[in-house]
Amino acid sequence: MLRIFSNLWEEFKEYIILVVLLVVSLILISLNEQPGIKKVKAISFGTFASVTSVISDVFSTSSLRSENETLRRKNAELMLKVNKLRDYEVTNKELKGLVGIKDTTTFPLLPATIISKSLSRSQNVFTLNKGENDGIKPGMPVINDQGLVGIIYNTSGDFSIVRTLRNSELKLAVKNQRSRVDGLMKWNGSDLVIVNVPKTYDIKPNDIIVTSDISSIIPFTIPVGKVVELTQVETGIFNEVRLTPIADLDRSENVFVIKVVQSKQKNDLELNFFNK
Amino acid sequence: MRNSNYIFPFLLFIPLLIIQLTLVPLISIRGFVPDLILILLVFYTLQSGQIYGTVLGFIFGFLYDLVTGSLIGSMMFAKTAAGFTAGYFANENKIETYFKSYSFTLIVLLCAVIDSLLYSIFSSKEFTFNILLLFFEQGLLPGIYTAVISFIVVFFYPKRSFS
Repeated sequence: MLRIFSNLWEEFKEYIILVVLLVVSLILISLNEQPGIKKVKAISFGTFASVTSVISDVFSTSSLRSENETLRRKNAELMLKVNKLRDYEVTNKELKGLVGIKDTTTFPLLPATIISKSLSRSQNVFTLNKGENDGIKPGMPVINDQGLVGIIYNTSGDFSIVRTLRNSELKLAVKNQRSRVDGLMKWNGSDLVIVNVPKTYDIKPNDIIVTSDISSIIPFTIPVGKVVELTQVETGIFNEVRLTPIADLDRSENVFVIKVVQSKQKNDLELNFFNK
Repeated sequence: MRNSNYIFPFLLFIPLLIIQLTLVPLISIRGFVPDLILILLVFYTLQSGQIYGTVLGFIFGFLYDLVTGSLIGSMMFAKTAAGFTAGYFANENKIETYFKSYSFTLIVLLCAVIDSLLYSIFSSKEFTFNILLLFFEQGLLPGIYTAVISFIVVFFYPKRSFS
């Protein structure tokens, strides 16, 4: 018997090792949401991020000049917009007062820098140089000056990981800013898409898609994407809407974490997305 | 292969991983980035054989999954398979030929396609598009980019070997 195993091992050891290692990998994939594994991940990425943050700092300093110029231009544009919005605010306050709607609150923004990016077509994640010690918690939205970048997925003491819009695990309730129709957006490995959109819904190319008020993660609107096209599904009653992200994820370096946490109560009630 | 050479890939892995996560994203093309870790894996697998390559791929994948915070097991699976595939070409008599010609790039291309394809399949629960598109977008394009970058190894590999 032992000889048979010995012969088998000699003959097929490469394949046996391959199969064993692949099975171990598959087992680990299925255990990813275990608290123990999450903790190990948080410790290891936190340790490694402290190294990458040094390298990242060196390179971000060199690009500061060009970024500064861009920001100054953007600042001037925003100043003009703010001026216009101030006029709207006055009118808005008067109207809200008339119908008795409470004013919206402001959200605390925490600036952070992306210190490393793990780019792949399905699992795009960024590491930020702020973590639990700065008050960051899983589920907080991350934005840049253009729009939504992603959602905090995991945190260590000084660092955190963001699942970007190009991560197939991220699903988000969104709405069309113009026609106000809601939908569920996700990354299909190739494009950002809103799935199962009834063909009767009013969605057109170039419409701006924002986060929906019904989302338990981001209960206020942030620009997410722009409609590129509606993919006609031959059979059935649904369209798939293809979007392009508004935030430039490839070139993002500095972001803001919005320090709001998901509503647990709302999350339990809704079929919303963030699976811890 | 000398014992010290078994440790060398691990010493190279750390700085290469830092470059992969900090500098390589700066040369991304439409979200595609070359995989330096895979080039390192193929390089050492060709020198040390299939079993070594399979185990090295497994360890590289595990470390990558840990430090990037992505789905643990997905890169392990892909890199293990890529190391195993590269191992088929391991032949002591052909090492010089591989590194002095573009055979190395072709081997990297094959392994990178397998690696990217498996990684995208196992890192996501729901891909809906067809297998041909999956092969092209998730496998071939990132594979070609990695293979192009692997020219650097061929270019800088010493043309004369001193024994």
